[in-house]
Order: sequence, then structure tokens, then C-alpha cells
Amino acid sequence: MTAYKKLTLTEPELVLALQSKDPAVLKTLYSMYSSALYGVISRIITHTELAEDVLQETFVKIWQSAAHYDNTKGRLFTWMMNIARNLSIDKLRSKDFKNSLKNQDIENNVSFVDEQNKVTFNPDVLGVKQLVENLKPDLQAVLNLVYYKGYTHVEAAEKLNLPLGTVKTRIRLAIIELRRSFN
Amino acid sequence: MNVENLKAYIESGVLELYVLGDLSPEEALQVEEMAAQYPEVKSELTAIEIAMENYAMENAVAPSADIETKLFEKLGLGKNEEVEAISTTPAYTEEAKVVKLDNSDSKVRTLRFALVACVALLMISTGALFITYNKLNAAHDQIASLNLDKEKFAGVVSKLEFDNKGLDNMVAMNDSKEWATIRMAGQAFSPKSKMNVYWNKKDKSVLINYVAMDLPKADAEHEYQLWALVNGKPVSLGVFGKTDSTSTEALQKMQAIQDAQAFAVTLEPMGGSVNPTMEKLAVMGGV
Repeated sequence: MTAYKKLTLTEPELVLALQSKDPAVLKTLYSMYSSALYGVISRIITHTELAEDVLQETFVKIWQSAAHYDNTKGRLFTWMMNIARNLSIDKLRSKDFKNSLKNQDIENNVSFVDEQNKVTFNPDVLGVKQLVENLKPDLQAVLNLVYYKGYTHVEAAEKLNLPLGTVKTRIRLAIIELRRSFN
Repeated sequence: MNVENLKAYIESGVLELYVLGDLSPEEALQVEEMAAQYPEVKSELTAIEIAMENYAMENAVAPSADIETKLFEKLGLGKNEEVEAISTTPAYTEEAKVVKLDNSDSKVRTLRFALVACVALLMISTGALFITYNKLNAAHDQIASLNLDKEKFAGVVSKLEFDNKGLDNMVAMNDSKEWATIRMAGQAFSPKSKMNVYWNKKDKSVLINYVAMDLPKADAEHEYQLWALVNGKPVSLGVFGKTDSTSTEALQKMQAIQDAQAFAVTLEPMGGSVNPTMEKLAVMGGV
């Protein structure tokens, strides 16, 4: 192939190569985005081994359903991130996940209970970088619930005991703050 | 949809939820239609996507290194290391090598053909060079002989020019009434010789014309001397060169003489003599 396969490619180049099933592009995609995707997956699924399984499944799905990606509907990363988040949530709700929690030694019964409890999330221990210093904690809490914990905004509203409109507004304000900080 | 409604739509937070994958398929389709229709919606969506992308990059967590290897094995894309995606190294280095090996047989054959063609070309070139060399030699000979001819002709031309000048002068002098032509006839020393002397009646100058003389060739130690006989006494008018002189001037001016009854030419040693050597009197003629 040609020398244009840099470690980073522009999105149209990536999409074109991906849809032509060029194995080299998968390597490029992986080196560009695996950590960012794993950042979300590993916060939804705290179990390392399962999280890494999901990461692998995510890339398998990206590879296999590349033809379904439509760049008029959004950026490649958004599409990949949604695959990663959906697979993570599916895993969280699957038998697989529950079995893995059950496959604990009998001595770890106490922690098993803890793990069970962990299925209900605590946004305060997400470990997400406080990027925007003046991003109010309540804004970031909502955003992280949805982005890093796989909550729907409806679930987040229930969790935080807030009206649905407030959750939506806070998500929007949080993202506006992000946009401002990245500019 | 007017500007107000569009603004309200953008501010409703539905675009953020779309990017976060938190809409039902029907709601998502509606957002996509809006984005396709309104560039403002599209650019707002893109800005949100880029912000979330940056946010994800900032909060990236590196997975274990072996995940990538497992992934490539699972997809049957060969060992991870074989698929090169990094930087300027071209992808498919391995495959490129295989292609080269497959072509090697035909490449050797091509090279063999090329060799044969080269040898044939060399032989033809050598032959052509040899023929050209012979032709060049012939051309050189021709040029040399042409040069000889040219020199010969140049000699003839200059001789003709010289003669022509002399003849022109003779004609001019004959026509002119100022000039007297004295014809000198051959004497005992050289009976066949003859020569003309031109004497200007006005200024008494004397000219000789190399064209209008026929004297035996003088050797290297001798030259001719022109004399005027004035009242029986010889007066030297100077010496002159050989008859076949190729000096550009056909005419030569001699010393003027006021009065003369006759002119004569003798052969004298180089530089002339005080008195004429009468034994070597070549031509003589009276006025």
C-alpha cells in the first residue's frame, strides 16, 4: 500500500480504508482510539477482564459493521463510542456478567455482595479528570453518568432525583463548558 | 422552521442526547433529518461530537497490550505484528516481498531477453561505427585534395589579378598622351627578351610594368638594372625584381630622368652596379 498510512489519519481516509477492509487501518484505528474507547468501557465495567473483552468485541463489531457506518449521520468516533457503550451496557445486563460475579471464591462472598451493589453506580468515584475547573460538579455528575456510566438521561434523572428537563439542560451546559475549554 | 424555533431546537439538548446515543431510533432519525436540512444543526452536532471526542481522549485508559494481538487473531487478520500501520513504513511490506518472489522467474527471462538485445545492439553499433570510420577517412582524403585544388586556384586567381592590373595600366598608358612607351628589344645576351618602359613627358617619371616584360629569370645573386642613355652616357634608374615577381603592384616606379635618348636593361649583381655590364645587356630601345 502507500505511505499515507500514518499513525493518525484524517477521518475520511480512515473511513475509506475501513470500508475497504484494509487490515492496516484497523491497526491505525486501534492505536488512535482504543484507549479513549477503553476509558468509557472500563468505567462502565469495572471488571478488567470483562472490560477488555468488551473492547475486543467493540473492535470486532467496528470491523464487521464498517459498511453500516454513514458519515452523514455523525463522526466516526461517535459511531465507535456508541458501539462501545452499547456493548458495555449489554455486557453489564448479560448473564455473562452476572456469572462472572458469581464465579467468586467462597471466601469472597462479602465482596460479591459489594460487586452486586456496584451495579448501581456511584458517579463520585468515576475517576474522571476534572478537565474544566469551573465546570460545576452537578453538571459534570450528570454528563459522566450518561457518558461514562451508560445511563440514559431518564435513568440519570431518576438517580439524581431531578426533573428530566433539568438533566437535559445540565448535559447541554456541561458539554458547552467542554467545548469552551477545548477551544 | 424559523430562526427562533431552530434556536430552541438546538438548545433543547436533544442534539447532545443524540451524540450520547441516548435517543430512541425514531428520535434519532428526526435529528438526522434536521441535520441534513439545517446546516446550523449539523455544525452544532459536529461541535458536540468533537467536544465529546476530546473529552474521551483526555480520559483515555490504556488497555493491556495483548488485547490488540488477541483482536487480530480473532479476526483472522494474522499476527498483529505483521499488520503494519505505523508512520511512513508502507503497509503490506510482507505481501510486497511475496509479489516480488512470484515475479522473479519472468524477471530473469526478461533480463535474458534484455541481454540478448544488448549484445545484438552492440554488434550492429560496432558495424555501423566501422562503416562510418571508413567513410570519414574517405572524406578526409577528399577534403585534403580539395584544399590542394583550392590553393592552386587561389594561386591562379592572384596571378590573373596581377596580370589584369598590369594590362589595365598598359592600356591606360597607351591611351594617355602624357606617357611615352619605349619598346626595348632583345640583345645578344638574350635575343628573345623584350620589355617596355613608360616615360612621362611632363614630370619625366619612369615606370616599368612587370606584365609588359619578358626577361630570362635572374638567379638569386643577380637582378636587372634599368639604365637611361643620356648623351651616350648610361645613368642608372634603379634595379627591379624578377620578372615572375608576385608583388601586388604590377607597376614599379623607377628614378625619373630629364632627358634620355635610349633605355636599356642589364643583368647585374644584387644591388646594382655603377656602370652597366655590357656583356649582360638584355634589352635596349631608343626613344
